[in-house]
Amino acid sequence: MMDLAPFWDVIVLIALVLCLAPWFGAYLGKIYLNRPTTGDTILIPIESAIYRLLGTSPQKSMRAREYLFAVLWVNGGVLVFLFLFFLFQNGLPLDATGAPGMRWDLAFHSAASFTTNTDFTHFTNESQLSLGALVFAWPLALFASAATGLAVVAAMIRGLVRKDGTLGNFYVDLVRSVTRLLLPLSFVFALILVALGVPETLRNVVIAHPLTGGTQTIELGPVASFTSISLFGTNGGGFYSANAASPLANPSAVSDLFETFVMMLIPFSTPFAFGQIVRKRGEAWPFLGTILIVFLIAFGVFVAAQAVANPALAGLSGVGASTNGYPVGQETRFGLADGSLFQVVSVYSNVGANNMQIGALSPVGQLVLMFGMFTQSTPGGEGTGFGTLLLFAILGIFVGGLMVGRTPEYLGKKIGTGQVKWAALALLAHPAAVLIPTVVAVAGGFVTVSSGTLPASAHTFTSVLYEFTSESANNGSALAAANFNDTTPFFNIAGGIVMLVGRYVPILAMLAVAGMFSEQGFLPPGPGTLKTASATFTIYITLFLIVVTTLLFLPVIALGPLSQIVGGV
Amino acid sequence: MAAPEPGARVPVRRVPHTSVLRILVDSFRMFDPRRQLRQPVMFALYVLFFLVLAFTLYPRAFPDIARTYSAPYYLWITLILFFTLWFANVSTAIAEAQGRARAEALREIRSGIRARQILPDGTAAWGPADLLHIGDQIEIRPGEPVPMDGDVIDGAVLIDESMMTGESSPVTREAGGDRTSVLGGTLVVQGTARVRVIAAPGDTFLDRLIRVVEGQSREATPNELALVVLLSALTITLLTVVVTFVFLADSTGYLLVDLATIVALFVCLMPTTIGALLPAIGISGITRTARANVITKSGRAVEAAGDLDVLILDKTGTITVGNRLAVQFVAAPGVPETELLEAALLSSTLDNTPEGRSIARLAARRNAPTRRLEPGQFKVLPFTAERQMSGITLPDGTELFKGSLPAMERQGGVAIPPELRQAAAAASQEGMTPLVFSAQHRALGLVLLKDVVKPGIRDRIRELRTMGIRTIMCTGDNRLTAAAIARESGVDEFVAEAKPESKLLLVDREKSLGRLVAMTGDGTNDAPALARADVGLAMNSGTGAAKEAGNMVDLDNDPTKLIEVVSIGKQLLITRGALTTFSITNDVAKYFAILPAMFLATNAVPLPGIALMNLLGFTDPHLAVLAALLFNGLIIPILIPLALIGVPFRPRSAIDLLRRNLLYYGIGGLVSAFVGIKLLYVLLVWLVAVPAFAHVGVVVGHVLPLGGL
Repeated sequence: MMDLAPFWDVIVLIALVLCLAPWFGAYLGKIYLNRPTTGDTILIPIESAIYRLLGTSPQKSMRAREYLFAVLWVNGGVLVFLFLFFLFQNGLPLDATGAPGMRWDLAFHSAASFTTNTDFTHFTNESQLSLGALVFAWPLALFASAATGLAVVAAMIRGLVRKDGTLGNFYVDLVRSVTRLLLPLSFVFALILVALGVPETLRNVVIAHPLTGGTQTIELGPVASFTSISLFGTNGGGFYSANAASPLANPSAVSDLFETFVMMLIPFSTPFAFGQIVRKRGEAWPFLGTILIVFLIAFGVFVAAQAVANPALAGLSGVGASTNGYPVGQETRFGLADGSLFQVVSVYSNVGANNMQIGALSPVGQLVLMFGMFTQSTPGGEGTGFGTLLLFAILGIFVGGLMVGRTPEYLGKKIGTGQVKWAALALLAHPAAVLIPTVVAVAGGFVTVSSGTLPASAHTFTSVLYEFTSESANNGSALAAANFNDTTPFFNIAGGIVMLVGRYVPILAMLAVAGMFSEQGFLPPGPGTLKTASATFTIYITLFLIVVTTLLFLPVIALGPLSQIVGGV
Repeated sequence: MAAPEPGARVPVRRVPHTSVLRILVDSFRMFDPRRQLRQPVMFALYVLFFLVLAFTLYPRAFPDIARTYSAPYYLWITLILFFTLWFANVSTAIAEAQGRARAEALREIRSGIRARQILPDGTAAWGPADLLHIGDQIEIRPGEPVPMDGDVIDGAVLIDESMMTGESSPVTREAGGDRTSVLGGTLVVQGTARVRVIAAPGDTFLDRLIRVVEGQSREATPNELALVVLLSALTITLLTVVVTFVFLADSTGYLLVDLATIVALFVCLMPTTIGALLPAIGISGITRTARANVITKSGRAVEAAGDLDVLILDKTGTITVGNRLAVQFVAAPGVPETELLEAALLSSTLDNTPEGRSIARLAARRNAPTRRLEPGQFKVLPFTAERQMSGITLPDGTELFKGSLPAMERQGGVAIPPELRQAAAAASQEGMTPLVFSAQHRALGLVLLKDVVKPGIRDRIRELRTMGIRTIMCTGDNRLTAAAIARESGVDEFVAEAKPESKLLLVDREKSLGRLVAMTGDGTNDAPALARADVGLAMNSGTGAAKEAGNMVDLDNDPTKLIEVVSIGKQLLITRGALTTFSITNDVAKYFAILPAMFLATNAVPLPGIALMNLLGFTDPHLAVLAALLFNGLIIPILIPLALIGVPFRPRSAIDLLRRNLLYYGIGGLVSAFVGIKLLYVLLVWLVAVPAFAHVGVVVGHVLPLGGL
């Protein structure tokens, strides 16, 4: 029988997030409904100045195509800027670390990675990134990518309640995301992190003289503020390469729980923002329900898988009974419960921050994390996770709507061929962006899978699969198997393309679907309308999500994680 | 064309039958690639069939196959794929045959009919009806069949429509007004009339119905189109999954992939069940509508019926019987009830109007004293426009009258006691019509007439409400009467004192609110509203204009038929949704059969993780794959009846329907596939153990030109 005592803080934390979510979601809703919020007196003049600078009028509302172009324009700008910055980082200010300019393919991968909210790194921060890149260029993307995701989903939701064909103004959504959400709250969270012992300084390097002799170079910098926005914006990039496993970024059990809280806040509140924007609060529950059911099952399975002894090590000397079965590379400071919660939240929210070595997890543990990236929506990354869930729901409602004998509709909007086409395209893009590059990598010999014996080669295969899954889902976590080198030009270029496809195809689909909805009138709800704010519907959508995801990914799950299992589970 | 006039052919009704041979021939004819191309999912299966056939016959042409080739296994897969395709064709062929049979039964009636055309110079020409054009004028005479759909423009006839509608009593059709329409194939019983042809040969409603059923003009409905998009997207995605899986399995080196097995996996994952049955479902919707004696001009209208929000119904003839009936007597103060009843009976016995008959019936039921009257002893005073009353003069000279209260007071000079006046006013409040009886200008009492709601209409309207459809009653009556009928029948809303254009305004109002509106109608006045409504059900007895404007024609002239059409429309959508869900949950089970089988084929001792997936405990990989593929094919003929009849539908709330269908078709799909595949596997294992059967495979292996493998 598992001891439940370590789970109390997990339960309290999840309960706390759920208690705050309706309130925080309502606040998010206000931001995207352009309603007054605290700080208007200071913020409005600043925002107006920014709008003037951007040459847009906040009253202007964009149609889907215009909105998409604005997204691509801003994101394209960030992408090009980052690419050039990384390419020439040694000549730019704050190049104190002496890191050379990146090779072009690595610069492309990194730029794509940060622009798309993935923050998958193919470099070591400490030696390959200039201070300027770390404290200026990258954080810019941390804000821009998080704000883009939120803006797009806000536009998508507004499409459901409008009938004038417009979705809102991207620049306004982008600016308000930063001024009213990301900047002030990440500032507060950074202060809390500092209080919890995370460094925040402009000094670059500290030389320590440990008792063991010699010197140790400890890099410091604005770690707290970097970590704060990285987690809050579901980016997941770490100031240190070791990410949240580094005691400087995540010093204590309290900071671990706090950082988990920061990651959960926006993704778990977004359903309520949705309820607020569509003016039907009850519609938030089916989505929160779906997210919670999948998330809690995943967490349970993950903990259970990590708690049992590793059958491969059975009988070997030196394996203590006190540690869990997969001791190598594990987070041992916070224990199974808190450490696992951080990791599952991080991957399921598409943050991608790590506090453990995923490659050393049990196969089932790896499978659980991958499943979260397959769905991308439970709860998924900032904004886009919820958008993906909405696309799933649209397809689910279409099939379910037929089953109740009416032309499927959601919130009074008919779901027609167009919406089905785009939603299906977005869901098709993900497996395609994962599977096709995996095939090219494995069959094209860019990584050698078949050389080892079975569990080892399945493990290598799993890590290639994990790589592209993480990139397509814009997650950023990595399963770095020992014999898999992903810093080659192939993995940089392929990975960069996969991240861009995994980001912008769904965004295109979300805006297209929203555009179609926004051009329709409303069907008045009648007694024959399928009530979506109901337990039956929640369970239906959950099952639909799980079944469709399983259908698309079961074969590779069999080849990867399932083939790695060597003993009893 | 002027030829001697032979005796008109009396149509003979032939019972049509669904020809098995025709279905067989059609099902093979549908292997035509152009035909297969219409259903993307089935076309994919079609291509795969030829691919596997090529693998089977020329294995050496495909180097990868040699590693795992087994002639009987490949042959069985080819065969099962062929039968899967064929089952799909059969389901469509049966649906088409049923629809055609229904339409032909209706059309049969008038084959070979000749017509008497009135030429512009006034002379008549006798020739085949097939040569008539729209606008031609023809004459119809007693004992002859009506050659073509048309409108009576001169004269009046009594027509027997029983061969079309099953209604035995003949109906009147006359020029002017709303009853001008005659239908080709019906029989003239009495009278002669001149008719203007409104349909060209080959373009009558029946011809259109046949074309819709046979798919020549069956354009996919919006929902069907969206579903095809979803199914195609799913197929493409699964193709990506399977193709990448082949390469991955191949290069990882720990799973040997067999191409036939991969094709089997893909076929099992494709939504073949719903893909195969989709055309049959659509056609059967139209056929079932036709069985209800409603001819639809497109499948779209049937589907739209399932979506309706609002139903606009005429009061008279739809909600009420159409005639007012006596329901109650009220005696004047001081007048004994028997006197009133006797007067009522006497004054109404010879009144042949429906109202008169109902008064006499009610009085007799109340045991009114009867008196024998010899002919010639009394005089009937019929209702005239001047008198506004009707009555009878008895042998003793007593004049009994009945009439409306104002008429009796003014024309009859009857003094109405205040109690009676009050009772009359109260009755009017409830939508009833009071009539006053008098004897020698003395008021005896009242009879209350009521517009009687059709039996059962209340239940049907409640059913509609459960399905989420609002009913609006339209009537020319005053507000009071309308409100009373509305209350009694349970309609959600009513429009009183309706004018001819009211219906159109009503349709427009509801449509502007985003609602889907249906209405029924028969008059030329109704035509614009019928055309505007999403579903316009025209009565067959109505004018040509009305029938042309509506998108459905009801041969039985029963407006409540719309309720049936709504059910059929809903059933159509539910059947599609349910079978899609079934297809998808089936897939999960099939995965758990084929994936472990593939690993089994490579390693006799399964990996522990893969063994977990082998839920059904397979040991023979080939038989496991064949069992899954066989199940995938056999489920199609098993579900054909469901596709043709539609899933059982009872009006319920939407969420309740979702719960039930999810349970039956979602969970049911999962469980049935697991159980079905396991049973088929056990059966196959048993069959293989039978020596004679095992030899078949060996023999086949020798016969095929597969040497060296």
